[in-house]
Amino acid sequence: MRLTLHRAHLALPVALVLILGCLLPLLLLIAFSVFTVDMDAFEMVPDFSLANWAQMLTNPVFAFLIGKAVLSGLITALIAAVLGYPLALSIANLPIAWKGIAQILLLTPLYTGEIVRIYAWRVVLGSEGLINAVLEGLGLVDEPVKLLLFSPFTTHLVLLYNTLPFMVLPIWISAELIDRRLIEAARDLGARPFEAFTRVVFPLTIPGLGVGLLAVFALSAGDMLTPSMLGGTSGATPMAMIDNLFGTAFDWPLASVLALSLLITLFATASSIGFLLLRFKGARAVLQGGLK
Amino acid sequence: MSDQSVSRNPATSPLLLSARGLVKSYGRNRAVDGVDLDIPERAFTTFLGPSGCGKTTILRMIGGFETPDAGSLILDGRSLVGVPPERRPVNTVFQNYALFPHLTVFENVAFSLTLRRGAQDPAPRVKRALEAVHMGEFGARYPHQLSGGQQQRVAVARAIIAEPHLLLLDEPLSALDRKMRGHLQIELKDLQRRLGIAFVYVTHDQEEAFALSDVVVVMNKGKIAQKADPVTLYARPADSFVADFIGSATLVEGEVLACTPGNATIATPLGTITAPAIEGLQTGGRAALVLRPEHLQLDGCSGMILTAQVEHVVFKGDRYMIEAGIAGVTLRLMSNRPPEPGTLISIGFDPVASFITRIAT
Ligand SMILES: Nc1ncnc2c1ncn2[C@@H]1O[C@H](COP(=O)(O)OP(=O)(O)OP(=O)(O)O)[C@@H](O)[C@H]1O
Ligand SMILES: [Mg+2]
Repeated sequence: MRLTLHRAHLALPVALVLILGCLLPLLLLIAFSVFTVDMDAFEMVPDFSLANWAQMLTNPVFAFLIGKAVLSGLITALIAAVLGYPLALSIANLPIAWKGIAQILLLTPLYTGEIVRIYAWRVVLGSEGLINAVLEGLGLVDEPVKLLLFSPFTTHLVLLYNTLPFMVLPIWISAELIDRRLIEAARDLGARPFEAFTRVVFPLTIPGLGVGLLAVFALSAGDMLTPSMLGGTSGATPMAMIDNLFGTAFDWPLASVLALSLLITLFATASSIGFLLLRFKGARAVLQGGLK
Repeated sequence: MSDQSVSRNPATSPLLLSARGLVKSYGRNRAVDGVDLDIPERAFTTFLGPSGCGKTTILRMIGGFETPDAGSLILDGRSLVGVPPERRPVNTVFQNYALFPHLTVFENVAFSLTLRRGAQDPAPRVKRALEAVHMGEFGARYPHQLSGGQQQRVAVARAIIAEPHLLLLDEPLSALDRKMRGHLQIELKDLQRRLGIAFVYVTHDQEEAFALSDVVVVMNKGKIAQKADPVTLYARPADSFVADFIGSATLVEGEVLACTPGNATIATPLGTITAPAIEGLQTGGRAALVLRPEHLQLDGCSGMILTAQVEHVVFKGDRYMIEAGIAGVTLRLMSNRPPEPGTLISIGFDPVASFITRIAT
């Protein structure tokens, strides 16, 4: 009992920061969302109006932008899982000396700033870029492949590159935590190596996979820079729109409505992912009992 | 030797597992260093030895988790070289049970049955296996909801359900308290008799080895020091390592003065003593006299009488253990009354009950 109290105390500062840093802005957003703007005086009027919410629900542009962000996040998370899972397992099976190197390589995307990375991608993927030069040099194409840059392909390629570490790391850790004797026990009981993987290793890495999916989803669905600077005409995002509304358009109430709607949608999607993963056989037992 | 051990005398049963010249090194360290072994069907064989002597390594080679550097392993007349664990008719109860944390007790036990394609409903067999270990009501629990003893039972049920020819158990009871251990020892032994499977058991607890085994294999630094039934092991240890490891003997070294068949005479700090001896001692060489507490009587008046000074008295519950020094040797004996430390006591001892053995290299 004393121990629990102790732990509760330890969590207090963090809880305070979370409340102040998260709840307060949220409350402000909720308040703003029912205000109106006096465009002549150029100021926000604190009255109560649902007009902004009505606009949100009726104007298909908003729904389209939010839907696109969610879809983009889901696609990136799924592809990252497909690519990252085998990568994480191979890293877990590397000799110890190689693991350090693998970790450094894995985190490379995070060391460089986002803007630097974006311009680097432009150099690599552009019409006069590296890839096109090679393709043309090899005679594989007659003219530069335009699709490489400023397309949804570009956006997702770069989102994947940026977020892959957040998929690989948690899966790697959860694979690392599996007691090797569990795999030996499975083999001992008659499982071939692949069966030992599907029956034991995969279920035990689901918590890591879940964390990876949620992280990649949140990071890519909420990203603004990559789509707007590399996605070309396809690069519109709810984030950019919110930025625009808060800034140049000076429509804080509408910006708040859009921000809240995006938040609710992302939160609902992420919760569904988490809920689905917990329904996986035994994932709950693993989380409750630890990986002993 | 008791009737029992003769009736199940392993030497008369057909051979199940045979190992010759097994060697396994980790780097420069020879974990297993030339082990020969014959395990008959239905026998309960126990590996006993101090930590790091290679017991687990031998089990892992039999189970298929380590490849021997040299030597042969033959099970049911077929070589095990290159056979992966899943194709060996051997199952293991791992040292810390290794239950699958994401599966219920039922699913853990059913694991091997559900691997076979088109297998019939595993439920009846799982139920029987769980009942055999008195865990019938726990099928729906997850491993983290069980006590250590319950987990151990599930591990046994999981390992026996596939009806292996050989069951390997690596210190399955070491994590349990004394009472639970005693209880489960009886259950394991009972189970082994009922199933008629050969058990190869690893422990560093001598009492456990004696309680369970037909044959005890005492290991020392990767080599077999002695293979024998418990009674022989206790009464006629093959060398001073075995004598010292088993029970709480006092070893007194001395020079061999004479050897006759079955007996030897050695000169020790306690005097010249003639006693039953191991074969192959050399006159003029050195040997060790094994004195067990039960060979020594406080205030004894028969046989040799030794006068020693009491060093320590330890209360053991039913009796007192006395340590008494004489001529630089510390003797251990049991008594109903505690003498004062520092006083002189007379200890009677009959050399015929003791044993002279080789000094371990
Ligand atoms: N994977 C390994 N790598 C290197 N050395 C090992 C490895 N496994 C075992 N050893 C060494 O081999 C020797 C025998 O180990 P083993 O596990 O067989 O001992 P044990 O008799 O089972 O001991 P314990 O009673 O402590 O379980 C030890 O010296 C140990 O340090
Ligand atoms: Mg061991």
